[in-house]
Amino acid sequence: MDLERDVTTHTAKIEARNVQVYYGDNHALKDVDVDILDKTVTAFIGPSGCGKSTFLRCLNRMNDTIPSARVEGSIRLDGEDIYDPRVDPVQLRAKVGMVFQKPNPFPKSIYDNVAYGPKIHGLARNRAELDEVVETCLKKAALWGEVKDRLQSPGTGLSGGQQQRLCIARAIATSPEVLLMDEPCSALDPIATAQVEELIDELREQFSVVIVTHSMQQAARVSQRTAFFHLGHLVEYGETAQIFTNPKDPRTESYITGRIG
Amino acid sequence: MSGSLLTQDKRTRARNAAEARFRSYGIVAIILALLALVWLLISILGNGLPAFRQTMLTFPVTLDAAVLDKADTRDPQALAKVTTITYGKLLSRALSAELAARGIDAGTLTDKDIGSLISEESAAQLRDKVLGDPGLIGSTITFQALATGRIDGYYKGRVTMETAAKDKNTSPEKLALADKMKDAGILAMRFNPGFILLPDASDKRPEAAGLGVAILGSAYMMIVVLLLSLPIGVAASLYLEEFAPRNRFTDLIEVNIANLAAVPSIVYGILGLSFFINFAGLPRSAPVVGGLVLVLMTLPRIIIPTRAALNAVPPSIRDAALGVGASRLQTVFHHVLPLAMPGILTGTIIGLAQALGETAPLLLIGMVAFVKDFPSAPPEGLFDPASALPVQIYNWTTRGDPGFVERASGAIIVLLVFLIIMNAAAIALRRRFERRW
Repeated sequence: MDLERDVTTHTAKIEARNVQVYYGDNHALKDVDVDILDKTVTAFIGPSGCGKSTFLRCLNRMNDTIPSARVEGSIRLDGEDIYDPRVDPVQLRAKVGMVFQKPNPFPKSIYDNVAYGPKIHGLARNRAELDEVVETCLKKAALWGEVKDRLQSPGTGLSGGQQQRLCIARAIATSPEVLLMDEPCSALDPIATAQVEELIDELREQFSVVIVTHSMQQAARVSQRTAFFHLGHLVEYGETAQIFTNPKDPRTESYITGRIG
Repeated sequence: MSGSLLTQDKRTRARNAAEARFRSYGIVAIILALLALVWLLISILGNGLPAFRQTMLTFPVTLDAAVLDKADTRDPQALAKVTTITYGKLLSRALSAELAARGIDAGTLTDKDIGSLISEESAAQLRDKVLGDPGLIGSTITFQALATGRIDGYYKGRVTMETAAKDKNTSPEKLALADKMKDAGILAMRFNPGFILLPDASDKRPEAAGLGVAILGSAYMMIVVLLLSLPIGVAASLYLEEFAPRNRFTDLIEVNIANLAAVPSIVYGILGLSFFINFAGLPRSAPVVGGLVLVLMTLPRIIIPTRAALNAVPPSIRDAALGVGASRLQTVFHHVLPLAMPGILTGTIIGLAQALGETAPLLLIGMVAFVKDFPSAPPEGLFDPASALPVQIYNWTTRGDPGFVERASGAIIVLLVFLIIMNAAAIALRRRFERRW
């Protein structure tokens, strides 16, 4: 229980207040208030279509690419409103990295996959620095040992679990402050899932990690805080142990015991 | 289900029969298509290949200064006053002299009759040669002259003794003399580079007609088409596919692009005539105008496959790039465009190949005119009159002399070779880019 108590002392990294998301006329996300803490793993759980991925994509403005999507309310990263008209989503996404449900490495070499972010953001001054960034990120993503001899071979040639870890390496190469993961293990086998979960636990030391998952066991294993979404509402948000052992809302209890979802 | 697995029931037999029938329809369809292709190739190759070989007469010609340069000054202006008629007479006499020297009996044929075996074009070629190098005057050169279309046709099977008897342009005696010259080695069928290199010739001289101006004109037009339609087409596709908002206006543009691809090409010819020639005042018969018309025609044919290629790039790649903080422009140029490149190149080259074979719009802007002079080098040459390969084919098929049938088929072979080269280039480029994933 030391760990959980420790978490509460962390400051809020992202503060969302009264967030509404509409897809056209469809009110997909209603009145979401949430504080995502620094250096913490936060899990979003809930049945399909409950809005958890939608909310995740609000946090780095990936919803901007959907023409019909509209976001209201305020989301602050370190106190700055990320939907302020002065904010360039490109700069935001360098700070808030994302890993997607399906591994989506670029059809380039393993090296280029990781080096792409630092290159376009000018994070490395020369080739040697870039090599170092690539090596560090692949090591952090627990992939270095498997690929260090074939950095120039295509990233698409790796196995599913390796591809997902490559995508994580790519996401952390831009030195983000928050890492968003949208069901990162749904396409992986149990062994690869265990590797990625272990990795998430390590990443917590440097980043604030937000993970959307369908697996309640996974949420219980990797996260310190859990948010339960249902039909576009944030039903309950609190420490993971409390959500799973002593949920306050009857809907949360029904979901985690398998009666709705 | 009951019954043995070792015997087929009625339903299974009926289904198997239906499948066998469908397969046989497919095989019949393929055989029909192959037969059509074989027929096309046999007919074109059979008619066209002789155009690459030409009957030539080889004999010594003494370039007598007393005839060609009476003042004996080698003054270019004085030399230019000597017409092809004089050179024609010179050739006739030289051939007669050669026959006499070899002991070939010309029978009742006069010098003039013997000279009529030589193409009138050859006199012009000899004159050009002498004007190009006046130092030749006074010497004796071995000259290779074209035989007339009738003599050439005799060795290609178009002309027989029977048809020659009724033909005022030739006679059985002339054909007999040609046979004697062939035996003596004066007359022979040779490879004819002139078919590719020479410009068009007049109706009476099929033996001298070549594709030089048409090939150059087509090449100039392809340069214009490539330089304009590829960047404009790709930029338009990229904007519509990656940047433009989806609204009624862009929907309208999309529908119109699809419609433009279906507009008959002759309509583009009328547009080109009224806009580029009548309004903008560009010259008629010029490759630049032909190229611009073909650009209009090719654009939708490039935009449609390019958009399809961009659309086929998985959205996860765009997400990945945006997710690491690439801007939209970077996403497009670093990731989407390279992945779509094979499709774009294939679409472009097939669009160019269609443009290369397009005839109708070029007829309307005057590319069908008889053009004897080569256009100069680009860019000025783009404004000089020129012909184009498909128009040249059309032009030759409308001419009276049967010698042009062979020329038209030969030109079709040249056009097909260019199309095959372009398609092979499309496949090669595709492979090259795909190997890079």
